Amino acid sequence: MIQFRKSILTFFILPLLFVACNPNSDERPRGVYDSGILIVNEGAFGANDGEVTHLDPSTGTLTSALFEKANGRPFAGLLEDLVLEEDRLYLVANTGKVEVVQPGDFKTAGAVNKDLDQPRSLATARGKLFISDYGPYDASYNTPSSYVAVVQGLDGGVVKKKIPVSSKPEDLFTFGSYVFVASSEGKKVEVLDANAVLLSKTLEMPGKPVQFFELNGDLWVFCYDAQKVYFVSISKSGLSQKEIRTFPIAQATGRMALGDKDAIYVLTSSGYPEYRDGISVVNILSGTLVSDWKKGTGFYGIGYDSDRQQVYLANAKGFQGNGEVLFYQKSGAEVGKLTVGRGPSGFLFR
Amino acid sequence: MTFALLFVSLIYYASPRDTVVLAEVAVHAAALDRFAAGQTLLTYEKSTLERYAARSLGDLLQETSPIFVRQYGAGMLASPSFRGTSAGHTALFWNGVPINSISLGQADLSILPVQATDRVEVQFGSAGALFGNEAIGGSVHLSTDLQKQEGFGGDFSQTIGSFGQHQTSFAARYGKPTLRLQSKVYNQDQPNTFRYRDISLAGVPWERQEHAAFKQRGILQDLWWQAAPHAQVKASLWWNQAQREIQPLIGSSTQDTQEDESFRAVVDYRYQKKSSVWKLKGAWVADQLQFNAQENQTSQGLLGLDWELPSAGNWALRAGVRGTWMNAKLSTYTATEQRWEAYQSIGWELEEQISFSVNLRQLAYPNELVPFLPGLGLNWRLFESDRTSLHFKTAFGLGLKLPTLNDRYWEPGGNPNLRPEKSQNGEIGFQFKQAGTFSLSQRLTYYRMQVVDWIIWLPKGNFWSPENIREVHNQGLEYQGESSWNTGPWTWQANLAYTYSSTRDLAQEGSQQLPYSPKHQGNAGLQVKRNDLAFNLSSFYVGPRSIASGNSRILEGFAIGNLGLTYSGTKWKSLQLPLRFQILNVFNQSYQVLYLRTMPGRSYQLNLTLTL
Repeated sequence: MIQFRKSILTFFILPLLFVACNPNSDERPRGVYDSGILIVNEGAFGANDGEVTHLDPSTGTLTSALFEKANGRPFAGLLEDLVLEEDRLYLVANTGKVEVVQPGDFKTAGAVNKDLDQPRSLATARGKLFISDYGPYDASYNTPSSYVAVVQGLDGGVVKKKIPVSSKPEDLFTFGSYVFVASSEGKKVEVLDANAVLLSKTLEMPGKPVQFFELNGDLWVFCYDAQKVYFVSISKSGLSQKEIRTFPIAQATGRMALGDKDAIYVLTSSGYPEYRDGISVVNILSGTLVSDWKKGTGFYGIGYDSDRQQVYLANAKGFQGNGEVLFYQKSGAEVGKLTVGRGPSGFLFR
Repeated sequence: MTFALLFVSLIYYASPRDTVVLAEVAVHAAALDRFAAGQTLLTYEKSTLERYAARSLGDLLQETSPIFVRQYGAGMLASPSFRGTSAGHTALFWNGVPINSISLGQADLSILPVQATDRVEVQFGSAGALFGNEAIGGSVHLSTDLQKQEGFGGDFSQTIGSFGQHQTSFAARYGKPTLRLQSKVYNQDQPNTFRYRDISLAGVPWERQEHAAFKQRGILQDLWWQAAPHAQVKASLWWNQAQREIQPLIGSSTQDTQEDESFRAVVDYRYQKKSSVWKLKGAWVADQLQFNAQENQTSQGLLGLDWELPSAGNWALRAGVRGTWMNAKLSTYTATEQRWEAYQSIGWELEEQISFSVNLRQLAYPNELVPFLPGLGLNWRLFESDRTSLHFKTAFGLGLKLPTLNDRYWEPGGNPNLRPEKSQNGEIGFQFKQAGTFSLSQRLTYYRMQVVDWIIWLPKGNFWSPENIREVHNQGLEYQGESSWNTGPWTWQANLAYTYSSTRDLAQEGSQQLPYSPKHQGNAGLQVKRNDLAFNLSSFYVGPRSIASGNSRILEGFAIGNLGLTYSGTKWKSLQLPLRFQILNVFNQSYQVLYLRTMPGRSYQLNLTLTL
């Protein structure tokens, strides 16, 4: 899932800081996009015009279509997720490919172009890429052949192996040699052994697991069903479920953002036919819940900017053209909005 | 109001007149020529249709008319956009029968082969009064034209072309004074294995197109019968089947397949007594569309009665009623519907100097009346000399599109509370003609159009649902010029057309140009003929267009040129063997009509026809 991967960023940024302090390092120059905010523009179904927009929050300057500007060719896919790991930025297109670019300038560094169906997210482990993929639809539009595709090498290449997992895998999380897979429709977290490239363990979940995050050193997974949301903590070493925190948030979508401390912003939608969308806020450790913190329609993605302490809400505006991002203070006050590319769905804070 | 006028007209024309035996015309032309005064019309010459015989109606209209055809790839879905309106805003008729899909409310022009029809006429602007539902941006009329003939005749045509294209057609004709018959069979195989630049991959490598094969076959049977001195019967059957692998967008590898099968039948009975003509029309259209494993079937029956005074002094009059019965069995819903309509047309002409027409129509569905549709038109000859003339033309009309069955019933998302889309269109124009050794025809039209309650499907969570949201204001200029002259043994013909189209969506902030509505479009052609040898060069241009609202991404304009050479001097006894060679996209342009839908580069076609 699109998210602010705080944990991964910490992993990634700390060594960078260390390297930055070393005068003898061969540190590459800091790129234009190594700071600021990357906005995922999913694009519209049938047009496959996904892209990435960059926002410089200090000046409010927007730069659209970063991929096409850097590489002289269109991204040509629906951009499902943007993952920053191992000094590489992975653009995961659910239309069947992964593009690897340099995070600072978006210049292409590799790709996985073949043998993928509907990729959703990606994680790196042990020098390999693990790509969650719904697999092909069957005649009834179900996805019984979901898998995690494994690519040897961090710059893409060919799919070496497909590990079957439960239906509709979404987010992935790496800890050591384990890759955790949130298989949403299957209501399972499946743990892969990155060395043996095998399914190692399966954990049953109370709802559909969609997104991992780290809080106070613990691994959590966000799950939901029609009536409730569940935050399940998992022992990274024991590969077992530790505790479940349940909140009565009905009609949650799979989209959430981790705010300050233990605050989680959850997007909700009444769905067909009225589509009353909203944001609920929970503090999972203290147990507080604010339902309908915001109400509206067209909500499509959410993020939290910890530097500016602002909530970013993406509105796809019906995918007819440019979407919109609204900025809120933690108090709920709107502090601005910007028109961005088509289908804004998530954010990566650099 | 329609009925009031009808009543007045009936009284006026009730005086008895002598019986008139029908002239030997087998074409029962659409109301285009008699009641469309002031409207912009385009009628294709036989030579143009022959040149496009191995291609689709979508290709013909894209390359030779001001219509923008949204082509989703080579041989893939092609939907027309007239004057900046959407695909569903075009009425399409075959021998006077509406053949747009009743579930989708539009037609796929790529599976209407040009060789299946004898005449193609196009009308621009809202003409709901004349043509009923869906005539908002314009209408396209395909018809059978059984020429007078004694005895047997026929032709066999074989086309081979690039990327594995094979096309075979066979036509047989028989005629005598009271009977004419025509049978046509065609088969087309286009594997579409063209090479293209894969702009989604690093290095933009050349790739061979996969999964874009197209197969089509069909049978037509036409009959015209002078059943009695005052009565004619005209009947046509058309079966068409197209099987397609749906060409994936550049950068994706979808494996969708689609099979379209249509059966269309129409019978016209025409009875003329004294000066009035009665016409009874019965038709049946059944469409089946299979997309992957999903099967959709629709059918419609039509019955109409029409009374006409084609020529009563300066006046012409027509009035009629029509009922349509629809039945849809789709993968997600079933529905039936009845529609009724009554219409009337009045034409008046004074010595070819001035003519006007008034058209009126009232439509009802399923049990409710929709807004009354009037239309007015005027032709006025301002000036005439021996060789030149100048005409002023103006027309005003309303148009309407009922929400389609999918719009209302699709599960999930169908919206039963949708209102019909409504339009009004006004245009003025001048036409200058010069006859003689250097003949010239030029026409310039300015139009304004407004479409309200335009229906758009919007994503709502996991579903899409239609809403009446757009209000669009269009205006534009259409220029069309033709000329012909001789230099020694050479005959020259040149044509030039340009369209400027501004389409503003007032429901959007900033009211920018609608997506996929090029502001500029044009086409030009030159034909040179000497004895049996003919050479033609044609080109068309489509200007930049945005792929989404708000101009978030602009696709570049493109210009494509085609070359053709025909030799028709090979004859053996009564057998003629014309040979035609064409180069399409002669400059090998790499282009997309729609974003990421690749189109083929240069290709060749060789056609041999045996005509008896």
